[in-house]
Amino acid sequence: MKEQMTILGGIDPEISDRLVSRRDAIRQGATVSSRLAAGLALASVPVALAALSKDAFGQTPADVTDVINFALKLEIFENEFYKAVLGISSSSAQNNAFAAVRAQIPAAAVTAVQQIQKHEQQHVDFLTAAGAVNTLNLTAASFDFSGGRGTGTGPFARATTELAFLLATAQGAEDTGVRAYKGQAGRLINNKTVLEAALRIHSVEARHASKIRRLRRASGAPAVVKYSGTVSGGGSAAAGAGNITPAPPQAVVDAFNLIYAGEDNVTQAGKVVTSLPNLPSGFDAAAATEAFDEPLTKDQVVAIVQPFFIPSLS
Amino acid sequence: MSDDRTIVVERAEQLWEASTRRSFLKALGIGGAIVMMPGIFAACNDDDNGTGPGSSSPVTLDLSNDTGIVNYAYALEQLEAAFYTAVVGSAAFNTMNTEQKEVMTDLRNHEVAHRELLAAVLGSAKIPNLALDSATVATAIASTNSVLKNAEAFEDLGVSAYNGAGKYLQDVNNLLLAGKIVSVEARHAAAIRDLREGMGLSGTPPNTRFAGDDVVVGGLDVKLEPSDVLARVASTGFVQTPLAIGKSPTVTSPTPNQAPPTTP
Repeated sequence: MKEQMTILGGIDPEISDRLVSRRDAIRQGATVSSRLAAGLALASVPVALAALSKDAFGQTPADVTDVINFALKLEIFENEFYKAVLGISSSSAQNNAFAAVRAQIPAAAVTAVQQIQKHEQQHVDFLTAAGAVNTLNLTAASFDFSGGRGTGTGPFARATTELAFLLATAQGAEDTGVRAYKGQAGRLINNKTVLEAALRIHSVEARHASKIRRLRRASGAPAVVKYSGTVSGGGSAAAGAGNITPAPPQAVVDAFNLIYAGEDNVTQAGKVVTSLPNLPSGFDAAAATEAFDEPLTKDQVVAIVQPFFIPSLS
Repeated sequence: MSDDRTIVVERAEQLWEASTRRSFLKALGIGGAIVMMPGIFAACNDDDNGTGPGSSSPVTLDLSNDTGIVNYAYALEQLEAAFYTAVVGSAAFNTMNTEQKEVMTDLRNHEVAHRELLAAVLGSAKIPNLALDSATVATAIASTNSVLKNAEAFEDLGVSAYNGAGKYLQDVNNLLLAGKIVSVEARHAAAIRDLREGMGLSGTPPNTRFAGDDVVVGGLDVKLEPSDVLARVASTGFVQTPLAIGKSPTVTSPTPNQAPPTTP
């Protein structure tokens, strides 16, 4: 596996060198489109270069690099968040920030969060081994988990003192991760190895998101937070933050609106799901929205997470 | 009564008979007529509705193109949808607590939605309904414990299947659609695993079964190649219709499998 993961390490900015042989291109995981194959067969490097760089949907090696570098940022963010919550961050400031809420987390939930954090660390390690670069040099100190861009007084500050607020925040982070991977997967279509790895990380984030929803529902979150762990409806309502008292500030509602934007979609592949045949009685729009998760674009993800990153993501 | 110029088809089985085909061609060749008696249509499978009796003829999947891969997913969704539909209608369902009922109802809804959406996307290219073994289904839904055990196996298998097959899709729109489904299957899997832990199955450590070390290794979730998924399906005994791969994916880049437990 590790051998396959060094593919990206071998890709030069000058990809012309890599187009010497058809076998090289295949080994790098590029699909050999007819234009590319023609270019290679004619030993016409400019043609092949053009074909590679103008692939539909921008699915070039540069896209793969961009996707895994972006994924690494998000994984570092999640990893540092959970480490701070657990009190194992390399930053004592981050650990101290979460001391109050940490004491409120029931033992059963602690082990769940530990398992989640273990995976986020593994994701950071995996992406790094695959050639992803921490281009912003993110460390534990690069984040303001209050969502205040470094002020420490952002709208999510109550996540550090209230368990219900913390869990809703974690839910939002996991669901954002799922949607981010889903939105980027298409750019990996020409690299089967990286694509498969991304899918396998994406489904782990979905398991995380499901568990957090179940934890929340078991501790009083409203019924829109389903025991099946799925996302019901869209916008801030899909966050199911009704058990947070006092109610979260408008900026948090706005953030949830961004995180769950479009999740109320009931049309898939041009078909209205609620109009499909053979649906059981009781199948409603909510069920239709739960059955399918939606992607987010990179820009949408950046808009959501930027307040938690001190350095700029754009 | 048939003669050389007029063929009368009274039974559906006649349509499968070579002698009928020869006589069709002969009759048509000499300007004859073929009369279909109304009764033969009563014997036809209602293949359009996804809930009719299943086909017992073998189903072969061509995984060298997206249609075949989507049909592969459709086969799995048929199986899951049928299972959860049976669960919700079972005596065991009535004994479940509120949470379990909510989860089972949701999973039934979602898997049926997956099945019907894929059927609609495939249109006339979809494989027939798969016939299920009623005895196997009955055993699986006999108790809450067996329901949840089988549900866990199905969901982890679904995640494995999509994670393993996604890389073979050639159209990015199909990849996106698969992506929208697989994360829901993973949510399901986590929920079922968590439910079972709550009923006494131990997680090591506790409260980790949702994404336990038996399915998430090095941070990566399970994946199986299509042939391995179908082998598992066959071994469950749920599906009577023989389901086989006719053509493998064109660009085979099999990565090492990471299988969910055979016995959850």
